[in-house]
Amino acid sequence: MLRFDNVTRTYGSRVAVDRLNLHVDRGELFALLGHNGAGKTTTIKMLVGLLRPSSGAIYVGPYNVVDNPREVSRLIGYVPDLPFLYDKLSGREFLRFVADMYGMSDGAAAEAVARESDRFQLKEFLDQLTESYSHGMRQRTVFAAALLHQPELLVVDEPMVGLDPHSIRLVKDLLKNYADSGKTVLMSTHTLEVAEAICDRVGVMKSGKIVFEGKVEEMRQLNPNAGQSLESLYLAMMDE
Amino acid sequence: MNERTPPTDAQLIELCSKLPTHDREGQIFLRLRLQMARTHLKFLLANARLRTGLVVGLSIFFWFGLFALFYNGFEFVIKYVESPGSRYHSDTMLFVFPLFFLSLQVMLIFSSGIILYGGLYPSRETEFLITLPVRDERLVFYRFQEALLFSSWGFFLLASPMLLAYGMVAGAPWYYFAYLLPLMASFAYIPCTIGAILCLLLIYRLPSMRRIAVGVVALAIIVVAYQSIWKTLEFSETEFLGNSWFKDTLKRFRFARGEWLPSTWLSNALIEAVRRSHNNPRDLPWLEAGKYLVVLVSNALALHLIFIWLGKRVYRPSYWELHSRRAKKPKLSLAWVDRVAGFMLKPFPVQTRLLIMKDLRLFRRDPVQWSQFLIFFGLLLLYFANVDRFRQHKSDINVLTWVNIVSFLNLAVVGLILSTFTTRFIYPLISLEGRRFWILSRLPVDRDTILWGKFLFAACGSWLPCAALVGISDVMLDVSFMVVAVHQLICLLLCLGLAGMAVGFGAMMPNFREQSPSKIAAGFGGTLNLVLSALYIMAVVLMTALPCHFFLLAGKAELPRKLLQPQYLRFWLMLGILASMVLAAIVTILPLRGGLRAFRRLEV
Repeated sequence: MLRFDNVTRTYGSRVAVDRLNLHVDRGELFALLGHNGAGKTTTIKMLVGLLRPSSGAIYVGPYNVVDNPREVSRLIGYVPDLPFLYDKLSGREFLRFVADMYGMSDGAAAEAVARESDRFQLKEFLDQLTESYSHGMRQRTVFAAALLHQPELLVVDEPMVGLDPHSIRLVKDLLKNYADSGKTVLMSTHTLEVAEAICDRVGVMKSGKIVFEGKVEEMRQLNPNAGQSLESLYLAMMDE
Repeated sequence: MNERTPPTDAQLIELCSKLPTHDREGQIFLRLRLQMARTHLKFLLANARLRTGLVVGLSIFFWFGLFALFYNGFEFVIKYVESPGSRYHSDTMLFVFPLFFLSLQVMLIFSSGIILYGGLYPSRETEFLITLPVRDERLVFYRFQEALLFSSWGFFLLASPMLLAYGMVAGAPWYYFAYLLPLMASFAYIPCTIGAILCLLLIYRLPSMRRIAVGVVALAIIVVAYQSIWKTLEFSETEFLGNSWFKDTLKRFRFARGEWLPSTWLSNALIEAVRRSHNNPRDLPWLEAGKYLVVLVSNALALHLIFIWLGKRVYRPSYWELHSRRAKKPKLSLAWVDRVAGFMLKPFPVQTRLLIMKDLRLFRRDPVQWSQFLIFFGLLLLYFANVDRFRQHKSDINVLTWVNIVSFLNLAVVGLILSTFTTRFIYPLISLEGRRFWILSRLPVDRDTILWGKFLFAACGSWLPCAALVGISDVMLDVSFMVVAVHQLICLLLCLGLAGMAVGFGAMMPNFREQSPSKIAAGFGGTLNLVLSALYIMAVVLMTALPCHFFLLAGKAELPRKLLQPQYLRFWLMLGILASMVLAAIVTILPLRGGLRAFRRLEV
């Protein structure tokens, strides 16, 4: 479903992502891990069309991200780390706008808004202006917007930041179930226990390069003395 | 598609073929705009009546003021130059109109380009929209509509009273008034689109040099304009407004009447539409004016197509290019400004000094703040440096009167500009501390010290440039030492009062939810601060200007003798100054006291 072919992104002389090769299959939940500045967000920004790779190519399904940005956007649902909402729209109006942009019919859009507001428990505040929302409410609304068109690939940048335990549980279950339903999920996170609990595979990035790609179990086999948890395995890998 | 069966590539392609059409995208964005406009209007009517009322009221006042001004101006032209249709009238108006519209045309190019840049590149909304399946050209056009509105409203506010007044004074036929709106709209669209096209091309080709390129072009235009104006005004008294002066001026500004300029097309259309045909069936002014309208509309449409085509081709690559530059990390060393400020603040307690230095650094490192300060005060400086014409014939009572009036008006202008700055930058200071208040509240600093620090920062920081500006104005006008002393005292009172109000009201009505200083300043408290500041400036200037004026005229004008006795006038002057000082004390102390009380009780 998702393929990075030898992708490099530079900012001036600084290499943010260095010859990245990555495949994520349909129905897979993949987590990008790494310190701040490792290249996770740059990778995601290239995928969603906010940056162009300096070299290499990214494919989502049959489409190249640079050549077919509109088609790729249709297949992707994107939840950024800093969610944007129109302050002077209500949650419902915002969701409706997004649904319309994905070309959904009136009936399908109404049904999708009801489904996602149910799933993310937005009903209480859905008709209030989004300027009055807390961070958690905003994050849940953005999740709902990203799932309205049931994208083939859900891309989530730091999904757990600022969420309360109840919402974290909600998002964890959602991501897992979404991947189980045959869709693909790519997320970047610092919350290693969440990644360990729900991800099929993880990719560890360091200085723009993938230094590990595989299952957590494979990570354990690679470094048997580092401990059992993903946290200790990750830290050991970073110290190398 | 079955939920559990992964779709094939063919199914994905089929899925992507159902995206909205061009027209549908337009409808969706239109609905978005209408929804936001409706909500915003409701909000304004419910929560910002004072600000909305002031903006609408002052705009109407400004419009009618301009209308009256232009009406009298055109009456003068028609009375002394000849009526529409005559050669001299056309020549005169073809000097005035093209120059006026050319100036606005240049401003529209810059403003639409800069506004569009802000909407298309560093905007979070655009970042969100790019991740949706929106056509690039639609996105560019959506943001361009805002740039068009925000850059051209000033043009309509200026041009509509002028052109209406011209038509009414000249007794224009009905089609003149019918043509006005399409003429103005099509004219405004052309420079706005040119600005937008230049913006796209500049970011596409020179993303790293965008600021330098805009700055160099702006500077070149300012130099050319300033040189032309300077040459026009540098004539001696005897030649000024004479025959050769007119000829030379017409020749100098010949470039403004180029046949390829939209400003010339608009001017020609107006000159044609305003005249009446006299007994010549082949002379059809409405048709001649209509031809120019067609030229304007067709050029506007052609530029629109070019802009949309460019938006489709270059917008996304230019966005990528701009966001792929390495972020500059400026080296933060102790600047000379900090050293000078540190030296000047030595008399203050250490904590106050540190707080003022912190605010100074934040101010210095935010170009949005000091660049506006620099532009407005720079323009004032330019104007003050050129007001020395009044110095000649100072023995003439009329000139003396004007010198006095202008010197006090200059003082009021400095105060009014300062009041916009204290409202825009000082008033939001406490609100902006909201999210970082935990740092200040945990420090062993008395809360009163924080507020006093802000007051001193505002008062001292504004006093130096204001006193210098008022001083330059007085030197250029060659006013007496007494007037200079009065002006400097009033300037100090203005700085103290305006700083006191901005800091006090800012602490009494903080808005911790908002992070944008402009939005904080645009709230009720900011508007109230601006209105009260303006009233305070008018009161203080009037209380000193009038007695000072009569005191200077004593013995030189034919006024009732009883009113002009020296002891009587001195008494009124002293009373005016005393009243100003009392008023300054009230507007400084009362808001500050309220602010201190509110700030002590503040829970964040």
